Amino acid sequence: MSLRVLGLNLIKTNRNLLQTAVKNNGAPNAHAVAMAPYATQVTVQATPAAVQKQKVSKAMKAYLERANEHDEFMKTQHLEFQIGKRHLANMMGADAETFTQQDIDEAINYLFPSGLFDKRARPSMRSPEEVFPARKAAEFDETGRPFHSMFYTGKPNYFQLLHDIVTETNKLNDLEERMLRRGNKPDENQKLEMAGSQLLRKEQLERVLVEHIADIEYQNFTSAMERLIISPYAYKSKAFIERFLKPLIDQSKQLEVPKPKIDEQGRQYVTTYECLRKTARADVTVRLPGTGKITINGQDISYFSLEECREQLLFPLSYSKMLGKVDVEANVEGGGPSGQAGAIRWGIAMSLRSFVDQEMIETMRLAGLLTRDYRRRERKKFGQEGARRKYTWKKR
Amino acid sequence: MKMLRKQFVNLSRVSTHLPRNVLASRAASRGAEMSTNVAPAETATAPPPVINEFRTGVTNPGEQSELHVAKFYTIPIEEKKQIFSGGGLPKQYEKQIKTFTEACLMVRSPALELLHYIKNADLTKPAVRYVLYGDNGVGKTLTMAHVLHYGALNDFLLVHVPWAPNWMKRPKEAANSASQEGFIDLPFDAAAWLIHFKAQNSKLLQRLQLKTSKEYVWSKRESTPAGATLIELVEHGIARIKYASETTAALISELKQLATAGQCKIMVAIDGYNAFFHPITRIFSDNKQRVSPDRITLTQPFLDITSYDWTNGVCVLSVDKIAMTEGYMSSYMPRYLLGKEGFEHLDPFVPVHVGNYTDKEFISYINYYLDRHWISKTQPGFEEQLKFLSNMNPYTLMRLVRGL
Repeated sequence: MSLRVLGLNLIKTNRNLLQTAVKNNGAPNAHAVAMAPYATQVTVQATPAAVQKQKVSKAMKAYLERANEHDEFMKTQHLEFQIGKRHLANMMGADAETFTQQDIDEAINYLFPSGLFDKRARPSMRSPEEVFPARKAAEFDETGRPFHSMFYTGKPNYFQLLHDIVTETNKLNDLEERMLRRGNKPDENQKLEMAGSQLLRKEQLERVLVEHIADIEYQNFTSAMERLIISPYAYKSKAFIERFLKPLIDQSKQLEVPKPKIDEQGRQYVTTYECLRKTARADVTVRLPGTGKITINGQDISYFSLEECREQLLFPLSYSKMLGKVDVEANVEGGGPSGQAGAIRWGIAMSLRSFVDQEMIETMRLAGLLTRDYRRRERKKFGQEGARRKYTWKKR
Repeated sequence: MKMLRKQFVNLSRVSTHLPRNVLASRAASRGAEMSTNVAPAETATAPPPVINEFRTGVTNPGEQSELHVAKFYTIPIEEKKQIFSGGGLPKQYEKQIKTFTEACLMVRSPALELLHYIKNADLTKPAVRYVLYGDNGVGKTLTMAHVLHYGALNDFLLVHVPWAPNWMKRPKEAANSASQEGFIDLPFDAAAWLIHFKAQNSKLLQRLQLKTSKEYVWSKRESTPAGATLIELVEHGIARIKYASETTAALISELKQLATAGQCKIMVAIDGYNAFFHPITRIFSDNKQRVSPDRITLTQPFLDITSYDWTNGVCVLSVDKIAMTEGYMSSYMPRYLLGKEGFEHLDPFVPVHVGNYTDKEFISYINYYLDRHWISKTQPGFEEQLKFLSNMNPYTLMRLVRGL
């Protein structure tokens, strides 16, 4: 079932009505194959006419049956998905033809609001290609003879990959030797930058290989890759290496920094709304040429009697060396002192992004100033004294 | 630790004085230029006054002017002992004085403003009431201390209540009054106040030789005859604690008469004055009912002396949030704290606002702390941090630098 929403049975009952319309949409598996390169080595049609006449090995026969079954399954799934999408578009009053995945997500979110914490546990509707992992295509021909020389290792793709890595490494070593003999040096400008990326994680690699690998096998992969990467001529096989690298997302670059507006006195200002911490909620305005004046609900910093809370408040300012250069106005409600101080701190840090350079934003992010603190009070459990603490155990 | 630190301070003071001896003569001459007369308590054996940009040699508050704002002056030890031995400086400040081995007060503009008013006041006119007000920990009490020092040096008889709410909040003992039906006496507190009064004014009283105007009969056998000196009256109150409250009342009415007659001039200084008008006290009568301040025998004389019907006097009063009880502390404005009754009692008065430090005062205070080696961890930008953390509130600053 691609549709993991309870109670959407009506889609199934109406399936027949729309079946014919959907059928015309053509090959549903086309892009599922494109996702996994290792699954495309051989694309075997489910039941080629020529095969049935020849003598077929038992393994091939079993595989064909399985493939057939899977194709059927995917076809029905795809059909259901299309119908579901149409229904959803109908319900939302949108055009079914131009209904995108994003629209689907929004619609599901609207129709089935969920408070579940884990995003994967929330109701969703996605195309079957995404929901069901890609399968390996046939690895042997009709007579049962495997295509791949490493078929009998059980994990041909994985071992092929290791083999490729070592081949590349050897190539680079040879190159290095030749260059040394000629007295050439590797080009420093082209040096491979690894700072912004990391190797694929195990699950990601498994998805690429369409094979399950053990932890130790993944370790072998990483150490082989590292050996390849530290080579001074690694940039020569950049294309190969980059296939197994994932860029680390520079989050502060991703987040859009608001442009400061100008107030009546000609000062720049940025307002951050919805600064949340615990149950406190604040909105914070930071104005640029300022004297360091802080206003919280109309009061100065003495709004917080606790030293810790004041420190919290001032930390982003002193960290970005903007103490005394900007004015801060905050309205805060709900929660206690520490929650309010935390909410304002986040608001100040977020607003300050508009007034500091990119480098400072990045260090602020690394210092955790731009990260929302999602922790909430943990509930008390019955039979316990508090959230975690148990009652004192007494023998009698 | 503290002792070690103190020793270290002393040592370092000696070491800083050594090279200065060369400059001593020049410094002394400069000091003489700055102040027309050097403080009377200074003797030849005392070390030469240290001249810093944050200190001033003018130890007489009467001679301080706008020039000396944000500078520290030292109260000589004997004078401090005379004026503040029975209270008048906040406890924490007292501790700090002990640690720094000198009683330094900063010259601040509210005190100067007040002194300016007092100096230029016409004493033949009814007594003017000055009301100090401001947020918690801004230095109302120390401003008052500054003015008290002026009063003591300028032949004012001091009628000083260090902290009036003490009587309402934590009385030593409460007894039913013998003379007034339904009233409560605070004999121990009254006696303590009399001791304080005597300590502050004994020299002046001896000099002026003030006499009582009428006979006070305390009991069948005890009485103070007309024409007895005020010292005798005070000493009787101290010796016979039972009559201390009545003695206080008698003393204050005598003082008022004497001042009006022009025999002496009086400075009334009451800290936490609004406690006299706050109905909630911690004194209970026999039937376990809360006693409001107007049923306490000590209240009436102090209300009398703060009214306008006498001359030759000044009243410096402070209204304070913490003189109130919980639920009555939302504002520090005099009208709110005094209530309708108290406000009408004082009206018209001169309000004097005491605020947080200015930038100049703040820097001066930090320099003072550095000079006393009280702040030893000086990372770059610590002043800025302290400034914003304390919001330049004197008391908060004092608390913050404790750990540095």
